[in-house]
Amino acid sequence: MSSKDSIKWIYDQFKDTNELIEKNMEYDNKHLLLFYIKSLIDMDMLEKFVIKPFFEMSSEEQLNLYLHALPQFQEITSKEQVQLEVMKGNTLIVIQNEYYLLDFRLSKNDEVNQTSIETTIHGSQLAFSDNLATNINIIRTNYHQPSLTVEYIVEGEVNQHKVAIIYDKDKVKTNVLDTIREKLQKVDKQLISSTTQLNNYINDKPITIFPQMIMTERPDRIIYNLAGGKVILFVDGNPQAVATPAVFFDFMTTMEDNYHTFVISLFLRILRYAGLFLSLLLPAVYVGVTSFTPEVFRTELALTVAGSRVGVPFSSFIEVLFMLFFMELLLEASIRLPKAVSATATTVGGLILGTAVTEASLASNIMVIIVSAVAISTFVIPVNEMAFSIRVVRLLLILITSVFGLAGLVLGFFVLLMYLVNMDSFGEPYLRIYAFSKNKKSSEEKT
Amino acid sequence: MSRYYYYLILINMVANIIASVPAILFQYHKDGAVSSMIFGIVAGTILVTVYTRFFNAFPGMTLPDLLKKTTSKWFYKPFLVLLAVMWFLAGLITLVTFTFLLIRYVTPEMPITQISLTLILSVIFGCLMRTDRVLYTVELVLLLTFPLILFIFYKAYSSKSLNWDFVKEAALYVNQMPHVNSFGACFFLFLGVANLFIFNRFFTQKQKFKLKHISIIGIIATLTLFTTYFIPIGFNGFESIDKLVYPWISTSDSLRMEFFMIERVLFVFLFFYLGIAFLSILIHWHVSMEFLRFVFNLDNIKFKGFKVGKFIPVSIFIAISLFLVRRLNEYQLFQISSTLYNGLVIIFPLMIILFFFIKRRMKDAEEAKQN
Repeated sequence: MSSKDSIKWIYDQFKDTNELIEKNMEYDNKHLLLFYIKSLIDMDMLEKFVIKPFFEMSSEEQLNLYLHALPQFQEITSKEQVQLEVMKGNTLIVIQNEYYLLDFRLSKNDEVNQTSIETTIHGSQLAFSDNLATNINIIRTNYHQPSLTVEYIVEGEVNQHKVAIIYDKDKVKTNVLDTIREKLQKVDKQLISSTTQLNNYINDKPITIFPQMIMTERPDRIIYNLAGGKVILFVDGNPQAVATPAVFFDFMTTMEDNYHTFVISLFLRILRYAGLFLSLLLPAVYVGVTSFTPEVFRTELALTVAGSRVGVPFSSFIEVLFMLFFMELLLEASIRLPKAVSATATTVGGLILGTAVTEASLASNIMVIIVSAVAISTFVIPVNEMAFSIRVVRLLLILITSVFGLAGLVLGFFVLLMYLVNMDSFGEPYLRIYAFSKNKKSSEEKT
Repeated sequence: MSRYYYYLILINMVANIIASVPAILFQYHKDGAVSSMIFGIVAGTILVTVYTRFFNAFPGMTLPDLLKKTTSKWFYKPFLVLLAVMWFLAGLITLVTFTFLLIRYVTPEMPITQISLTLILSVIFGCLMRTDRVLYTVELVLLLTFPLILFIFYKAYSSKSLNWDFVKEAALYVNQMPHVNSFGACFFLFLGVANLFIFNRFFTQKQKFKLKHISIIGIIATLTLFTTYFIPIGFNGFESIDKLVYPWISTSDSLRMEFFMIERVLFVFLFFYLGIAFLSILIHWHVSMEFLRFVFNLDNIKFKGFKVGKFIPVSIFIAISLFLVRRLNEYQLFQISSTLYNGLVIIFPLMIILFFFIKRRMKDAEEAKQN
């Protein structure tokens, strides 16, 4: 690369930005040319590591060696790289007609966040940060294996975000890794800003209710998944990582299970599955039992249910949908509202609406109880993505039950199981029972 | 043996309670039902052993694969179509029976088409799944339903209304000569093993199949048959047990759970047997679908780039089931099941001759390859 042409090329590339700074320094037979973008650079570091030594060093030779020795030093492989790296916060240095990059980027987002989605009582309360380098640092400090591999790939035509693929080379399934690499290459989008976006773009079936990758903000879950041979994807500027291939049971474990004694965590696990079944089936059972087959329940209970429905002008189907609709609205509202108002909203929504609705006999008392039970049990599901999916599936089951009755509910539930079993997450069956037998050799194989 | 192998056998055994098997047995309660049960268990266990041994010798191979290698086209194509029809009918009988049960006991006001559609639609797309996924579904649904079914059996055995004198009286008829119909019904319990025709694809490793495994199957079969036959007699009496259309439903309706939300065991029984029926239809129709796929090369039929081939049998399945559900009544269904069971008694032992033939040919082929 002849120096004059290259400098011209650089000017051409950056003619649209007014923030590119060019610094030409000459002193004592030494000559140094710097290019950087002011807002991306840590000024102190630049001053300390480049400008000061420049004036202190005795010869250009020494300065060159010194720059080479800096840990931030980076060789240039192509012209395009120069442009990209400068836009990321590297400083371009021209010395003795040679071009180097020095990484003095300033990131204000490298602080570790507090967990906000997957909170636990015991255990670490720290989540990942928005900065990719910090996140990889967190993973490496928690996972001491030389086989841990990090690959980078640039995604998004416009915003050119760095995506990291992290895996344990010894444990990862190579075919999964290959598909992910291949699919990532194929992603052709203008803007990639979140990991979940990747989740949608690199799946086989873009239209699916259930997440095929598990999104998490907890380092301990990522470590657990790495050790399990999963592939982790990070996007720069995003505090959530996704791990894949994910199976259904991944979404039902919380990291807190490791912080309890065996019996307690077994109890919590049973509670969690009970919550899952309740939130999935309870409203549909209500529809089926009140509108189709009241004789299923014992007589006293059937009468209580019927009694509480006295005066309600709707069929049970409308009643359930009506109440669930308001519950979902309440949930959504409490996420969007400013923290100060959200308490009021829940009071107004939960207490006042609940009481008023039964007094106005728009819904039965039992219905209000069911809806609140469902709302509570939905929160028991540890991974938020799964909770969202369950909310959608619940509506489908209500719909099926209101057409086909209780038998429809039972079969609809089996179909749901079948759907989950039939689903793939990067070649892994999404739902199946794993048998942990002592002899490793399994007696059957995938067809 | 792999646990999935037992599921295949177990489901056919347990599902018979809602099919016509008990009704057929009670029909001959004074004419050798007990002795045909004993003969059925012996013959059935032998059949299971022979079938399993045969397929174990060819791990990962389905019957169509083997036939294609060893026999000519004019034989195996019509033969496989016949098998497909048989498997479809086996599933259909369960389907129609359960549709009748649902309309009698759960939703009498609902049109019968709608009820049968519930079952058909839920099963039909399962038939198109891959074989391993069918087995995973089977395992999950069994895991959810089986504990409750065991609970119902426990309830039945521990109930005070179970009168063992009737059971003893019924057992006294053991000296009667077995009747072919009741023998056929018992024999049907063991035919779950024939699902290996397709499901052997899943068992790609050679498995151990020793006396231990055979005796497990024999014991399970004996217990199931004993429960199927004697429990309803213990509850309903011996003399006119043959007049009951659904003996097991009447039996489960005489059980109560005094302190539970659901008082009548009938509903627990119905809804959880719905799971077993679902699995039974799923397995049968999956096998049937796979036979058809093999014979007619359904994967190659394309319409505007989409593989539409496998939807052709699906629509035929739906059409035939909907038509028959509306046309049949309980008596005809009973007759058809009885005839089918009798047919199976002849066909399946005869199949063993075919197995010898295949084995011989495969051996020859292997020897030819070695030389």
